Amino acid sequence: MPENPLLPMAGQIERIITETPDVKTFHVTFTGGKPFVPRPGQLAMVSLPAVGEGMFSISSQGEQHLEFSIKKAGMLTAALHEAETGQMVGVRGPYGNGFPLDLCRGKDLLFIGGGIGLAPLRSMIVYCLAHRSDFGHIQIIYGARSPADLVFKEEIFDRWPHEPDTEVNITVDVGDDNWQGHVGFVPAYLEELNPDPAGKVTVTCGPPIMIKFVLQALDKMRYAPENIVTTLEMRMKCGIGKCGRCNIGSSYVCLDGPVFTLAQLQNLPDEY
Amino acid sequence: MNPITEEMQQIASELLTAQEVKCVLGWEKGTLWYQSAPAFIFSPDEASRLVWDEFCLPNLSSYLLDDRYSQDRVAIFVKGCDSRGIVRLLSDQQLSRQRVYLIGVPCPGMKDPAAALGQKPGDTSDLPVASKCRHCTHRNPVLYDRLLGQPVPEVEPSGERFAHVDEIEKMGIEDRYAFWEKQFARCIRCFACRNVCPACNCTYCCFDLDEPRWLDKEVAPSQNAFYALTRAFHVAGRCVECGECERVCPMGIPIMALNRKIIKDINELFGDYEAGLETSEQPPLGRYNPDDPDNFA
Amino acid sequence: MYVLDKSQLPSFLEAMAAGRTVFVPAEAGGMTRFVPWQAGIQLYWEENPVISPKELFFPQTQVLYGYRTLGQQLEILSRDEGNSPRVIFGLRPCDAAATGIMDDVFLTKGYEDSLYRSRRQNTLLVVLACRRPGPACFCTSFGLDPTRADNADLMLYDLGAEWGLEAVSPAGQDLLAKPAGPVERQAAAPEFAGDFPLEIKVDHLPSGLRPMFRHQVWDIMYQKCLGCGTCTYLCPVCHCFDIQSHNRGVQGYRYRCWDSCMFSDYTLMAGGANPRPTKKERVRNRFLHKLQFMPERYGKFGCVGCGRCVLKCPVNLDITQVANRLAEVVANA
Repeated sequence: MPENPLLPMAGQIERIITETPDVKTFHVTFTGGKPFVPRPGQLAMVSLPAVGEGMFSISSQGEQHLEFSIKKAGMLTAALHEAETGQMVGVRGPYGNGFPLDLCRGKDLLFIGGGIGLAPLRSMIVYCLAHRSDFGHIQIIYGARSPADLVFKEEIFDRWPHEPDTEVNITVDVGDDNWQGHVGFVPAYLEELNPDPAGKVTVTCGPPIMIKFVLQALDKMRYAPENIVTTLEMRMKCGIGKCGRCNIGSSYVCLDGPVFTLAQLQNLPDEY
Repeated sequence: MNPITEEMQQIASELLTAQEVKCVLGWEKGTLWYQSAPAFIFSPDEASRLVWDEFCLPNLSSYLLDDRYSQDRVAIFVKGCDSRGIVRLLSDQQLSRQRVYLIGVPCPGMKDPAAALGQKPGDTSDLPVASKCRHCTHRNPVLYDRLLGQPVPEVEPSGERFAHVDEIEKMGIEDRYAFWEKQFARCIRCFACRNVCPACNCTYCCFDLDEPRWLDKEVAPSQNAFYALTRAFHVAGRCVECGECERVCPMGIPIMALNRKIIKDINELFGDYEAGLETSEQPPLGRYNPDDPDNFA
Repeated sequence: MYVLDKSQLPSFLEAMAAGRTVFVPAEAGGMTRFVPWQAGIQLYWEENPVISPKELFFPQTQVLYGYRTLGQQLEILSRDEGNSPRVIFGLRPCDAAATGIMDDVFLTKGYEDSLYRSRRQNTLLVVLACRRPGPACFCTSFGLDPTRADNADLMLYDLGAEWGLEAVSPAGQDLLAKPAGPVERQAAAPEFAGDFPLEIKVDHLPSGLRPMFRHQVWDIMYQKCLGCGTCTYLCPVCHCFDIQSHNRGVQGYRYRCWDSCMFSDYTLMAGGANPRPTKKERVRNRFLHKLQFMPERYGKFGCVGCGRCVLKCPVNLDITQVANRLAEVVANA
């Protein structure tokens, strides 16, 4: 750990992948190699110091780089979207607890993602596929507003479905002329697919409204709150549980989260 | 019991019982004997909390901004200065007249809570007048649906009102700069002055904007001065002189000296003017006349 | 106990100030706060200074690091915080307790805040025992002793014509070993006299509050809040901060600054969502943070009963009234 946990390291954007009209994935490299090896679901602060700093999930990593998949929302993300390869950024982390690997090992996994919510799930999916024998059946249900808004298209269409014992179900809210796949909201598609809760851990991330209805659907399908895992989003500044703003009750999302089981959330004030 | 207090409680109870209003805004006794705090009364049985005493300093008018889009009718007790705050909201079209039932309370001038600090409760006649009341020009409400008690005699405005301004004006430019720099240096940017001000009624304040951030959050003299001066100019010609900004300032910054400097200048440039007296008012800086002074010296 | 004639205090402080900065309560710039001692300074002993000593460890604005940008380049320039030795002379037991809570926040739970640590670790606390409660004091509600502080290096007693000094730590003992220092003599610490004007009933805290998050009491309690930052900024325990950039062309610095959970933009996210959209949620968070969340997280209340917020809140939104109202609600639940 660096002496000052608020001090970023300078990294360089080595590659930019345009995922959708408003999502880009940035590969960031560092002189002397990756400064840290994040666990799936962990976060990092990425900054253009003159513009700002924001907390993003680390959507994947390579031997030498970290990946951030970022949706354009405010000034920092807009500036990042305008950046070209070679742009240097500040990075500090890793922050947060990450996904509960111990809970997931040996179990079947059901990933339910919506929109950019697939970014944190991807770090876990990539990890599971790399350690395939540690996990059982993997099912990924993913949806976006339109076919153009689906992220990680190569992986969801061409790679993950061909992995052993892995199933990928894609849906869009509204199709287009070329869309041959499923049309409908994620929670409805989930109920339609009706996966069996037995021996399964569910990991879900997406817009709050999707999560709300996914949780309702899972409850209806008798998934236990202890086996439902989700991630929360709050405004963050320090990332180390000091600055105060990301608290939900006595938990800090940056430090104790962002990953919580539904059982844990049920014990916290519902202020998120 | 003070007869005005009694009348307050009775009116509040009646209005709530008849469901003419959803809430009555008045004052109640606070933690310490010299504190009379804002009270929100929602049911007739709570009306007995209301009080009228020499510590009812808070101007309650800016609370009406919290629910500015609500249709619920509320009753509010107003002193002279508070009623001018209501006029401010009405003429700035932040409040509809039908939404408020105004109960005027002629005000003899409040006592200075700072002077009562640490003293035992008791006779308040020796306490000085609250600084916000010292130069009051309208002790009687200027707008009301009903008046409690008898109007009090108004005090003839004296030169005292601008005495502090005159004193600061007489300083050389260096000294004046040093004076204000020293005042702003202790600002902690709590925004109490803005939040309490009925003239600070924007739905979203530029100082709260994160993107772009007009005001650095850095608490430095230059940023503090930028905040204070921008706010003073924003309320220029609209300040109703209720003195709440200065009263709520935890750092004791003489904010009213700044506001009164602008009032004095407006009086000199555009003729005597007092804001917050009529809802149809056209503030001098909000209208244009071809013969407006245009010297730039 | 060591005693010192009050007229000797300036020379004692002067000796103490050799090689370190000694902060004393004083009236400065139209406000009372802790400022570096210098000869001739008028000390303020009446009550707690309006600005608590937290700014000495956690300044309202503090540079985190500098940066230079040129084209696509970025250079991060770390700033070394000096950690010259310091003494805070004459803070009271409540502020000393608050410092202990701040230590827990900044130095425990996974990360040590190095900027806080560098200022804190070389600072000695000379704590003035109170002789009477102030007009809005309630430290005893939280089990604090107004005449003692566990984390003091030296206790300071007002003996009338003299100051009494008692070492609590070895570093405090060293402070006494100055030439021109106090002399050892038999003397008793003064009695504390007077009743506390305010009290919080803490029996039901924090556990009783857990089911109260959605209680309708919150629909009433927040109404008079102005949404200003007076309470949070004057509080010796409130520690929330923001991180922002001061950017000028190709260079600038990132700084942290006090922030207040009372402000509308505090939890506002870039996409426009805000989990605490109105005063109600913000007021609830502030009081629960002090009375429930901090006890749950740190085993300590987030309030030391110093009374600053009671005296300075422009609308008397008083934590003792709030807490005792909550106690009633819990008792009737």
